Formats: sequence, C-alpha cells, structure tokens
Amino acid sequence: MNNERLNYGERIIYMEGVVVDIDDCSISVDLKGRLGFFKAPKRMFICDTEPKVGQEFGWNMSFPEQLGPEINEHYVSNIEKERRKQKEMRARLDDNKED
Amino acid sequence: MSITAETAKEHAHDPAVLCCRAEAGITIEPANLEDPAIFDDLVDSGLLCLDGCLTIEEVLGAKLTKTCDSLAPLTADVLDGVKAVSAPAAAEVAEAVEEAPAAVKAPAAPVAGGTLKIHIGEGKDIDLEIPVGALGGGAAAAEVPAAAVVAGAAAPAPVEEEKVVGTLTRKHFNITEVKRGPETKIEGTTLYIREGIEADVIADQELVKDFKLEIITPELYHTYSETVMDVSPIATKEGDSELGSGVTRVLDGVVMMLTGTDEGGVQIGEFGSSEGYLDENIMWGRPGCPDKGEIFIKGNIVIQEKTNMERRGPMAAHTAFDIITQEIREVMKKLDESLVVESEELKSIRRPGKKKVVIVKEIMGQGAMHDNFILPVEPVGVLGARANVDLGNVPVCVSPLEVLDGCIHALTCIGPASKEMSRHYWREPLVLEALHDEEVDLCGVVFVGSPQINAEKFYVSKRVGQTVAMMDADGAFVTTEGFGNNHIDFASHIEQIGMRGVPTVGMSYCAVQGALVVGNKHMQYMVDNNKSEAGIENEILGNNTLCQEDAIRALAMLKAAMAGEDVKAAEKKWNPNVKSTNVELIEGAYGKKVELVGNEQELPMSEKRRLKYS
Repeated sequence: MNNERLNYGERIIYMEGVVVDIDDCSISVDLKGRLGFFKAPKRMFICDTEPKVGQEFGWNMSFPEQLGPEINEHYVSNIEKERRKQKEMRARLDDNKED
Repeated sequence: MSITAETAKEHAHDPAVLCCRAEAGITIEPANLEDPAIFDDLVDSGLLCLDGCLTIEEVLGAKLTKTCDSLAPLTADVLDGVKAVSAPAAAEVAEAVEEAPAAVKAPAAPVAGGTLKIHIGEGKDIDLEIPVGALGGGAAAAEVPAAAVVAGAAAPAPVEEEKVVGTLTRKHFNITEVKRGPETKIEGTTLYIREGIEADVIADQELVKDFKLEIITPELYHTYSETVMDVSPIATKEGDSELGSGVTRVLDGVVMMLTGTDEGGVQIGEFGSSEGYLDENIMWGRPGCPDKGEIFIKGNIVIQEKTNMERRGPMAAHTAFDIITQEIREVMKKLDESLVVESEELKSIRRPGKKKVVIVKEIMGQGAMHDNFILPVEPVGVLGARANVDLGNVPVCVSPLEVLDGCIHALTCIGPASKEMSRHYWREPLVLEALHDEEVDLCGVVFVGSPQINAEKFYVSKRVGQTVAMMDADGAFVTTEGFGNNHIDFASHIEQIGMRGVPTVGMSYCAVQGALVVGNKHMQYMVDNNKSEAGIENEILGNNTLCQEDAIRALAMLKAAMAGEDVKAAEKKWNPNVKSTNVELIEGAYGKKVELVGNEQELPMSEKRRLKYS
C-alpha cells in the first residue's frame, strides 16, 4: 500500500465544490473557498439525479503530498510530445480556418 | 450496540466484548455483547485489545464476577462458569478469504457396485473411499465428518441428455503480412489494404477530419502511440449466417486497433491513458488485447475540435474506422475455402438437470465513450447495432454464442487496465469456461448498461433481478468493467438477484483503487480481477481484466455457493494472498493446474513505471 508514504494521509477534510461544466464524459468542479478546480470522469461522481451546472457536490479529501524529488522523464517526455503535437495541430486548425 | 441471539450464534467463535457497563453478578446474554463486526476498526485504532478474550460461545450463560465498563473484553478472570469450547467446525478453520474456498468437487451419484470417493479439501484433507454397499443407503454418510458439505454438493443429477441449442463455426484464415496496394485483397497469407482508403474514412463522418493508417508489425512494437481506444478482431459472417450462428470467418495474426485525438491534439479519452510505446503499455494476451506477434492495423483518427468529450465524437471515430474493417470483411467473404487453416466449432450446450447459471455482464453506459454498440450485423461491426445508452441501459439477453461472435462493439475511450475492449467479448473467458463446464447449465448472458444517475441505476438493476428470476436460475455471475459509480449498480444487481434466493458471484477489478463503494449482504461471493502487483489501475492496457484464471475461481465459488457451503468473509484490506490460497484450493480439489497470467512486471520496464510503481 502506497499510502504508507504519506505523512499526513489521515488528515481528512470535508470539501465542497460547484459544478461549472459537464460534458458527455466528465464533470468539472470549482472548489469552494477559491481552492482550485478539478475535472474528473463522470463515473467517479455519485449522483442521485442528473448532474447539472450550478449544483454542489461534497467529498472528503486530504493534502496531496510530494512523493519525492525525482522527476519521471517518461512523463515529461509524454507531456512534451503532447504539447508539441497540440501546438502543431492547433496551428494547422487555425490555418484551415483562415482559408 | 448489543446483539441478538441470532448474531451471537453467527459469531459464536468471535471475541466476546461487553457493549455497555455491566454489574458483577449478571449472567452474560447476547444483549450484553457488542457486535464483532466493529472490532477491526477498534483494534486498529488501539481502543480495544483482544488478548486473552474469550469467544461469544464460551461466555454466554457465564456469570460476571466483576463490574466491567463498556467495551471491556471478557476474559476468564472476570467470569465464572465459562463453557468449554466446542470442537471448531471444519468451516472455521478454513482460511478467511475475500473469495470462496474452492468447491469440493461434487462426487458422481453413487453407482451400485462402484465406489463412492469423497475428497474433502478443507482443513485436514481427508480422503475417504467407502464401498457403496457399506453405506447402507445415504444415511450412513452422516457418520463421515463434514459429510454435510459433501452431501450438499452431491445432489445426484437426474440423468438428462445434453442439448446442443446452437452452433457457431469459426473458420480461421492466417495472415502473415499486411501491405498497402491498389485494392483491398487477400492473396495467400498477405492482406493488402487499398491505398487511399483514408479518404473514404474521412468522408464517411462529418466529424472525422483526418485519418492515418499504420501497419504495426512486431518489429515496430516499440513505436509511440496515442492512447488505444479499441482492439477488435477482423471477422465476417459467411453467406446468410446471422451473428451467433452459422459460420464466421476470422483473420488470425492481425487485429484492428483504433487510436485518436481531436483537431486540437487532445486525446479522445476520458482521463489517464495508455499512450506511450506500445510494447510498454499493452498486456499481451489478455482476452481484450493483441497477442504478441500479431500485426496491428492501427488507425489514428482526428475528430472535430472539442468533440472528444461528446458522445458523437468517439462514435464517429469508431464508425468511420469500421469502413476499413468492412472493406476487409467483403474481401473475406469471397476467400477460397482452401485458405482455411483451422475450423473450430463452438457449441451452445444446455445441460438440463445441472445447476442453471446465468452471466450478467455490466457494461459502461454513463454516456460518451462509456457506451457500447450491441448486436451489429457483422462481428464487432457497427451497422445494425444499437448503443446501450440509447436503449436506456436496460438488460439485453443474448446467447453465449452471440457474445463469442462479437455482439459487442465496445466504444471504449481509452483502454486502461480494467476496461473490456471489443476483442474481450470475442474471447470472453467466463462465457467459455461456463459453456465448457459439464457441471453447470449456462442458460444465457445478460448485458446491462451502467447509467450515470442513481435512480436509473436502480431502475435497470430491478429489471436485471426480474430477468434472472424469470430464468429460474440456480446461480448467477455479475461482472463489471472499470470502477467508480458503476459499482453502485453492480452491488444493486447482486442484491436484486440475491434477494430472490439466487447465489451470485460478483467479479470486478477492486484491489486498492477500485475498492467497492457500497456493499450488501448478498455480496458474499466476490472475485477480484486484479492482476497488478500493487493492486492499482496501472495504465497498462487490459492488465486487470477478467481472465481465464478469474473465470475458474468464479465458477468454483458459484458451485460452492449453490451447494450451500460457507464462504468466508473478505479480509478488511486487500490481500493478494487470498487469491493464491483459493487457486491452491481449486487445484487441490479439481486436481488440475490453474495457469496464472503474468502482469506488468514482465513488460519492458518503462522509466515511468519504475519510478511510479516500484
């Protein structure tokens, strides 16, 4: 179990947030108290009724803790590849729109 | 909270702890005792120490000699008249497991003049061989310790003939090379794909903006790829055959693989993904994955900007990619019989008199890529199919042969560790195992979608309950893919079936990250599909999907449950040893080796995994 690596893993805090966007497969939530934003797959949200923008959600969470100073080059390379590709594709898309 | 006499009986061998303050001189009754279900947490947090604590069975009726506070464990020094411990029942020495101990193989009905062999795989491993004549009719069996277990399993089946209710012939054609050419054709073992077919794919769907086709041979496995959306077989129906019957032609050695992004370069994927080098991100040989050595016809589709998270985007990608598969299918229909390398006949066999079982497969139905096309005209095709989201996610009954003939075209967005891709259904291990198991009568497979909203989840699970009730099934399997809110309806399906008195084995990836969010008393028989070393979603394609080894454990467990045997409760935390213990039990009881599949540890270790998961 990896959570043994956490020092503050037991500090569980009740959080609330407001749904700001919904698409066919994800829900975006602004955390109350200006604490950030997250977007997660719909399948991870438990809903009694249809989820809608403006609804509030609650959950428990803790503090994300750094697991170490190492940088995983594989992830960096994936991220760079992804950014480069997106930049190229976006430029092409913009060119097409101008045509 | 105090417990009832009934609970006290269930927990006879569990520790006895006072639920509230008790005065000296009282006689211990169930009402004085705390429910053992809560002890684990209390012990973990140091509030309770059970050293020297007597069991509930021992303390009932004893006299308390000293006034004790609530949550005081009852030990011999505060009690008078402690009962002697009864001989522990055989079931109690069985391992505490999340999954069932293996079913003791049901012995055949005694035959006059033959021998009755009873093998008891629990505890002391007793082998008995008694001439049938000496039994003096079934009654003598009562002398055999733990005979009840065996008797339950041994319900002699009335001799009824097996009935073949359907057949499906798979004709295999071998492909060793895939090339581009002026037309799509198959010559010998070489498949040619028409040059310029890309334009047809793009033209087919308005949302498809670009398309690129790559042929990945084993030498190119170490190629960077976008996240894999689907892996499917290339198969077609012969003549007028309908899906699930007649003849299906299939190409061996080659699979279709779909990947994609939107115009902005964003993956058509939910979150997380298996992008990276193919050979580091695919768990070879899983039912839904490519096998090592196969050639991939890999299509990368670009769909309209920002439709990657909308339902229509991925649907268009899957539909457009099928243009290529369909063109190959048309060629396959005309292939000469002489090219058939293997012909295999799959039979749907009913076994009247044997325990009737049904497989309920929960598929994703939350929308967008959590969707599936059901029952296309061609195996894993698109034409003629209906999306389960459009069908309202209600249960759809299909025959086992329809499943194995590709009745599901999985619209998976990403193929991470726990999702079932189209090819999974084509080689569905549980359907195959149950179909071939001579001790059970597999009556059919029910697909049910998992909607987003709880009210809809319970709506569909009630339909599942009714569907299974109508079948008069003796046992059921409920499987699910992925994890998240689909576990709510997964639990509800099991409850709806279980409350009708049908024992149900649940199968899902759970382990650490997919731990169930809910449970109910009918969820006694659970099989975990996890294969990853750390029990996590490790982004390796197909790693934690249902495999033959899981199917074997589930079948053994369902047989045990249908025979009325006890199955130990799960351990509080995920413990991979439970699975290996169960596998050993099954191997012992059935006398055959259960082949276990490998996991991510045998793939070339990417830097990403080395740092993250080691």
